[in-house]
Amino acid sequence: MVVGDVSTGTDVAVVGGGPGGYVAAIRAAQIGLDTTLVEMDAYGGTCLNYGCIPSKAMITATDVAHGAANAEEMGVYADPEVDVGEMVEWKDGVVDQLTGGVEKLCKANGVNLMEGRAEFAGGDRLRVVHGGEGQGSESIEFEHCIVATGSRPIEIPGFEFDGEHVLSSRQALAMDDVPESMVVVGAGYIGMEISTVLAKLGVDVTVVEMLDEMLAGYPEDLTRPVESRAEALGIEVEYGLAADSWEETDDGIVVTAEDGDGNTESFETEQVLVAVGREPVTDTLNLDAIDLEPNEDGRLETDRQARTDVENVFAIGDVAPGPMLAHKASKEGQVAAEVAAGEPAALDYQAVPAAVFTDPEIATVGLTEDEAREEGFEPAVGKFPFSASGRALTTGDSEGFVRVVADEESGFLLGAQIVGPEASELVAELGLAIEMGATLEDVASTIHTHPTLAEATMEACEHALGHAIHTLNR
Amino acid sequence: MAREFKLPDVGEGVAEGEIVDWLVSEGDTVAEDQPVAEVETDKAVVEVPSPVNGTVRTLHFDAGDVVPVGDVIVTFDVEGEAPEEESDEEAEAAEETAEPATESASKSATEKASTRTFAPPSVRRLARELDVDLDSVEGTGPSGRVTEGDVRAAAEGDTTEPQDEPPEEDREVAEPAGEQAAEHTGGAGGQEPAGREKTLAAPATRGLAKELGVDIDDVPAVEERDGEAFVTAEAVQEYAEGGVAAQGAPEAGAPQREFVEGGETTQPYRGVRRTIGEQMAESKYTAPHVTHHDTAVIDDLVETRAKLKERAAEQDVKLTYLPFVIKAVVAGLEEYPVLNSELREEAGEIALKQDYNIGIAVATDHGLMVPVVKHADQKSIVELAEEVNELAAKARDRSISREEMQGGTFTITNFGAVGGEYATPIINYPETAILGLGAIDERPVAEDGEVRAAQTLPLSVSIDHRVIDGAEVGRFTNYVMERLTDPELLLLE
Repeated sequence: MVVGDVSTGTDVAVVGGGPGGYVAAIRAAQIGLDTTLVEMDAYGGTCLNYGCIPSKAMITATDVAHGAANAEEMGVYADPEVDVGEMVEWKDGVVDQLTGGVEKLCKANGVNLMEGRAEFAGGDRLRVVHGGEGQGSESIEFEHCIVATGSRPIEIPGFEFDGEHVLSSRQALAMDDVPESMVVVGAGYIGMEISTVLAKLGVDVTVVEMLDEMLAGYPEDLTRPVESRAEALGIEVEYGLAADSWEETDDGIVVTAEDGDGNTESFETEQVLVAVGREPVTDTLNLDAIDLEPNEDGRLETDRQARTDVENVFAIGDVAPGPMLAHKASKEGQVAAEVAAGEPAALDYQAVPAAVFTDPEIATVGLTEDEAREEGFEPAVGKFPFSASGRALTTGDSEGFVRVVADEESGFLLGAQIVGPEASELVAELGLAIEMGATLEDVASTIHTHPTLAEATMEACEHALGHAIHTLNR
Repeated sequence: MAREFKLPDVGEGVAEGEIVDWLVSEGDTVAEDQPVAEVETDKAVVEVPSPVNGTVRTLHFDAGDVVPVGDVIVTFDVEGEAPEEESDEEAEAAEETAEPATESASKSATEKASTRTFAPPSVRRLARELDVDLDSVEGTGPSGRVTEGDVRAAAEGDTTEPQDEPPEEDREVAEPAGEQAAEHTGGAGGQEPAGREKTLAAPATRGLAKELGVDIDDVPAVEERDGEAFVTAEAVQEYAEGGVAAQGAPEAGAPQREFVEGGETTQPYRGVRRTIGEQMAESKYTAPHVTHHDTAVIDDLVETRAKLKERAAEQDVKLTYLPFVIKAVVAGLEEYPVLNSELREEAGEIALKQDYNIGIAVATDHGLMVPVVKHADQKSIVELAEEVNELAAKARDRSISREEMQGGTFTITNFGAVGGEYATPIINYPETAILGLGAIDERPVAEDGEVRAAQTLPLSVSIDHRVIDGAEVGRFTNYVMERLTDPELLLLE
């Protein structure tokens, strides 16, 4: 202990107040454990402050403008005037409301909040360094510690984030005005979501992607509508190019990228956004103090109870294995808290949904047809195009489809892939179906409200059963 | 590519197996279907074949380890594929890790569909609470979905064992809540330190333990959660006060054993031995046993068998007394069907079996096994002799299948093979009766005021007294004895 440290004791110390950490803290406190949540930056973490929420706010706002400007087909003629500054202000208001809400919820549940950067000082002790000179530090003695430090954007060599010419996704979402042009490095989901926002705000966007495909990891038939919509919005995507360097010019900057054969191409632009992925934050924790070593990816290996190799230390969210998704972090946080309290909790979900808020949206849950086959199932597949959905046609957005994958023999739902309007919402029903062990018959026999997009899930299941009504059967 | 090979379900519903011997070593090249390990389950020793052509990279257990079904036992490098998975790290590093591909990629491609158990989250949680291994529960819901009722039934029957747990003999904690726990609530007042390595408790409980100067690992556990001992504040308090320990903790009630000088050797209680033990206990504590003893005078049978033995030998059949006994027993069962029955308490019914499937208890080097002669009523003495010999041989060399030990309706045990007269056979539950045979020997028999030496066969018939009354077993035994005394009557069967 450092001389002058103030020491307090707690049952559960949670390091990081993002969607994993604050949920863990609230659950632990609900169960009756004395809980301390340490946050070094802002409650709500990346998700609420710099990621999911601000990006979705901006996506919705730009969709409103873009939708209004492109509704001639419906007989609407409008030329919306967008004040980006006000839009960002509104977005910040949403974020403030949510992060304030997190703080209130924590306090209302009796969570002790502490600001500062926490690091291990032993198997049962954290040192919390407060920001600012003379703020000092203090120690927390804990029974259990839940590490929820999350992730940060990956920097690539030569493109250090400066907030002026080279932006991270976090900085891009905090802009109070937009540039005329932007080069976006990376056609993953963050790159494509922000590119779409920028394009709808009139920015001249060029995406530079090292691979030959957009949104790698998603089936091609899901990404194709996104690709063609991006093209229609004027987004140029350059594949097979790795961003190499940039330099300032009189008019802005020039970004140079290289292909696999060593040929270079350069792009004149005002700013460059680097969105090549995120890395877990475990290097600030002084893990040596508890003899815990992260794996090659910088993550902490955990078991089904979210425990690390150190028995009383849990890891959840982006620092734990698995996809970096807020909802996965929250679930792990609940499990870790319950396990710490001695409850029989475990991570045994069947499927983790994922959504990309591009235009159109993509959402998936569970297994694809190929993955089901690899797992030894004989898959039955059903599909329903939104072009056959009454509700989709009345929204003016009928591109895409719902596809379900089930075990042919038993009919159990195994997975679903959706591209199209409200895919991120529609996937929830199929996630529930998978968790409940529902069969195609179960979903198909459930009456769905008409006219809604959700009917498409019912129809896709009917299709897999070979008796779809509103689309041709196989 | 690496292929992880999990211990398959080597018999119907077997939860674990002991690796008796590895038939390959790390680095060995193996062909598909080549046996790689001998695994002993609760019934038999089986060879586990390799699922691929390739090389053995890692053997994950040692011989002697008990492995839950579904645990990875061998990692193979599959022939014709790169030894390590192709790394897409570059691509992944450049891409968002939040994509579903990451999730699916982490799923082993070798994971077979049969390993997935379909059950809703609430049922999954219940299974954890009741310490039931969900994968071993048979689902009765739509398309075989596991329901809450299935999990509760499994917990009450306690026929499953959580796969994540160490074998029973290593367990240091109380059985899960439920009937089992009630059974274990035996002795009280034991204050021996439990001395566990790991204990689950709420932090407040840990705080209390510290306050009272008690090592929480020494406090008798009140229950088990997720395979670990769980201790409450009350238990800590009681332990500190030196009072009666919390209920339901076997270690609390276990008196300290003192061993004689010279020490002891131990042998594992598992596999066939444990199965026998569990079945015996279930039978003995479920069915109230009553044993009826009598002696058959069998001079004629000895003579008849001696005559027929030679004829049978010509057909390469070794004729023992057992086929005659089976014939006589089947006749008795036809006459008194209640002895060929099963009590189904929950359904409130006694099932009188139409089949006459006679189990024959066979002592083997590795314990008692009971192969079953199916449809004994439809077979001749020679056919019965042949079948009994074959089944007994299979039981002894452990090549017998589970099917050949299932479906019995009545059992005969021949404890007389090693001498002795009477014993108390334990019913092969859920059957309701069993016949024990003593040694055939010359014994004094009083006849018409004279005592003479006669060949006799002592019989001991145990019955489930819930189903069968003393008079019935007496009549049954008389009927059987009549046919053993006068084997010509068997001609009428």
